[in-house]
Amino acid sequence: MNVNLLAKMLGCAALYGSMAAALAQGLDPAALLQPPTDTWPTYNGDYTGRRYSPLKQIDSSNAKSLTLAWAFQANSQAIKSTPLEVNGILYFTVPEQVWAIDARTGRQVWHYHYKKSDGDHIGHRGVAMWGNWLYFETPDAHLICLDAKDGHARWDIVLADVQLGYFATMAPLVVGNHVIAGVSGDATDIPGFLESVDPETGKQQWRWYTEPTPGEPGSETWPKNGDAITHGGGMTWMTGTYDPELHLLYWGTGNPNPVLAGDARLGDNLYTCSIVALNPDTGKLAWSFQPSPHDTHDWDAVETPVLFDADFGGKPRKLLAQASRNGFFFVLDRTNGEHLLTAPFIDTNWTSGIDGRGRPISLKEKEPHADGRLVYPGSDGATNWMAPSFDPQLGLFYVVARRVYSIFYYTATGKPEGWAGRDHNIWEESTLRAIDYSTGEIRWNHELGPNQSVAGILTTAGNLLFTGDAQGNLLVLDPATGRTLWHVNAGGSMLSSPMTYALDGRQYVVEGVQGVLYAWALPE
Amino acid sequence: MIRFIVCFCAALAAFAQQRAPVRGQKEFGQSCGFCHGDDATGSRGPDLVRSPLVNKDLGGDLIAPVIRNGRPDQGMPALPLSNATIQDIVAFLHMRVGEAARSSHVGGDYPLERLLTGNADAGRAYFNGAGKCASCHSPTGDLAGIAKKYAPLFLEERILAPRPPGHAPVTVTTPSGEQIDGKLDHLDEFSISMRDASGWYRSWPRGQVKVSVHDPLQAHHDMLTKYTDADIHNLFAYLETLK
Repeated sequence: MNVNLLAKMLGCAALYGSMAAALAQGLDPAALLQPPTDTWPTYNGDYTGRRYSPLKQIDSSNAKSLTLAWAFQANSQAIKSTPLEVNGILYFTVPEQVWAIDARTGRQVWHYHYKKSDGDHIGHRGVAMWGNWLYFETPDAHLICLDAKDGHARWDIVLADVQLGYFATMAPLVVGNHVIAGVSGDATDIPGFLESVDPETGKQQWRWYTEPTPGEPGSETWPKNGDAITHGGGMTWMTGTYDPELHLLYWGTGNPNPVLAGDARLGDNLYTCSIVALNPDTGKLAWSFQPSPHDTHDWDAVETPVLFDADFGGKPRKLLAQASRNGFFFVLDRTNGEHLLTAPFIDTNWTSGIDGRGRPISLKEKEPHADGRLVYPGSDGATNWMAPSFDPQLGLFYVVARRVYSIFYYTATGKPEGWAGRDHNIWEESTLRAIDYSTGEIRWNHELGPNQSVAGILTTAGNLLFTGDAQGNLLVLDPATGRTLWHVNAGGSMLSSPMTYALDGRQYVVEGVQGVLYAWALPE
Repeated sequence: MIRFIVCFCAALAAFAQQRAPVRGQKEFGQSCGFCHGDDATGSRGPDLVRSPLVNKDLGGDLIAPVIRNGRPDQGMPALPLSNATIQDIVAFLHMRVGEAARSSHVGGDYPLERLLTGNADAGRAYFNGAGKCASCHSPTGDLAGIAKKYAPLFLEERILAPRPPGHAPVTVTTPSGEQIDGKLDHLDEFSISMRDASGWYRSWPRGQVKVSVHDPLQAHHDMLTKYTDADIHNLFAYLETLK
């Protein structure tokens, strides 16, 4: 063996070694299929969207002694994202910005700042990860691939045209070799869509449009003539869920456009305000269910479609449950979309009942009108993007529910365009509700105070429920009764959803409070 | 003097610019309205308020060539309009896009006639009867001239949810039985704070004291689930007469 060859081989070995070391910091795809323990690899922690962790070091017997492990000051607008945690690094976002910080200490590893960009900067939910790469959507509706090692941008693609009114806030979802990304924007009348791109290159794999092409099934739910169906809205702005066995992706879609103007788009307006099941390889629709047919109140049905297997009506079923922005809780069979249950989780005044397919029937007189119509919930919703949780130990579904009373005004005089009106909230308060998934019955209620809470929920095998109230307190509740076990005034409002992970034998719960991330743990 | 002329010219240019959409609307109606509708929301031809080309246009860079050259393949003829006329039409189309974007504006300038669908007599009857408004309010007392005080939209909303007249009166009873009256500052699951009669701030753990809040707006809150929209609009029509 000559010296040169030996040197080359050693070089290769060294290179291979460094690649292996680099990959060791990346995300093992198998982690996506596990309940979250040492890793929180996706927006909801796992594909089910339950936001239930099997960790139980912190439990109902010791939660009283929770203490601050560290805090990270982002000096930014409010953190609405849920951090990912992969191999000891947390990745979280605000619009235009991504941070990597040490999950043990809260020290910054790197910070990425996209350019000053157009588009709505209303909030940002987080990133997705595939191997060593992160995926980040920008306010001007680009999708950027970052190297998780150093925050260096690898590529940047345009998902949608910001000049037409699109923007982006959501955390994409990685399924197999697909990065699935949704978009936002309802100030203009533009079609919603969900897109899948290649994680390595960013090349488009498929795009599913919320509105069917005229002539396709579903198009009969739009006016035959005119351009309503091609300008129908239905944004895909929250992260969906995925069932690996059924190989189906579940996604909620947003309101139709023009937002408050129903007469301009008579019909159910599929697939807006819907839960859709898509094949993640092709983007082909398997089934759909519409929580708000012909919505005229901005009640996006984008809230997490939560997946769990449980008995329903005496037999085991694969279920999907959503507490929807319109105030109703829905349970479906996720294999085929069969409707199983519809129940209100808060008082509403906009329906005359439930139709044969389980969908609330809206009252014409509660549609927005020039003289103002009192409707509850208002457009902010009985709930919204803050995460719900399902605790399989108790069979309870938890949702932050709001009593929002609002007056809906219709402003258009000619053909409506854009919002065509607005609602004004006149009174609001919040409550946390535990729903029996099999009956829709409210098992317990924990009042969260005046104002709208937008704090999400985490449950754990330690028999704990983490959330915040509407008055600046972080809370730990007993998920069986709603009794408060721990609280702290963290100096601001929790506008995000909690997450948890264990490292070196210590369980951390991370919560974003305005521009600060707090990590709570038991004393060392 | 030169400064004055510059200012004058700038003002003239600004005025001309303001007028452009108005002129453009007329010109659009004459040259384009037959196909695109006088308000540009479409008729035989497409809705231009929703047009990607119009939305992406910067100062006519995309719209002007279409007007000049037409789209013969789609049945749109070339229009022999002057550059100035085209610029006015461009200004009009941008104004229409802006109006759509602002269609969610509902504010103090909201027109009275849009809200005035109720019957003032029915409103008076509700005020004195089922609404029980008269048990606290009087049209010649606290509500005299109320319609002059508020823009119509805000009057309608404040009937339902008046602004609190200051901090709610509260009484805290301590474990020793002492009663402290004051004005509520903050109340949540864990703490209560107030300004006492002398103006000093005081707070207690919620679990250690008895708290009694006298919310003067409770009756309004309780009504929110009882009103019909007709009650609201009748009541509004009645209060709108109190000028």
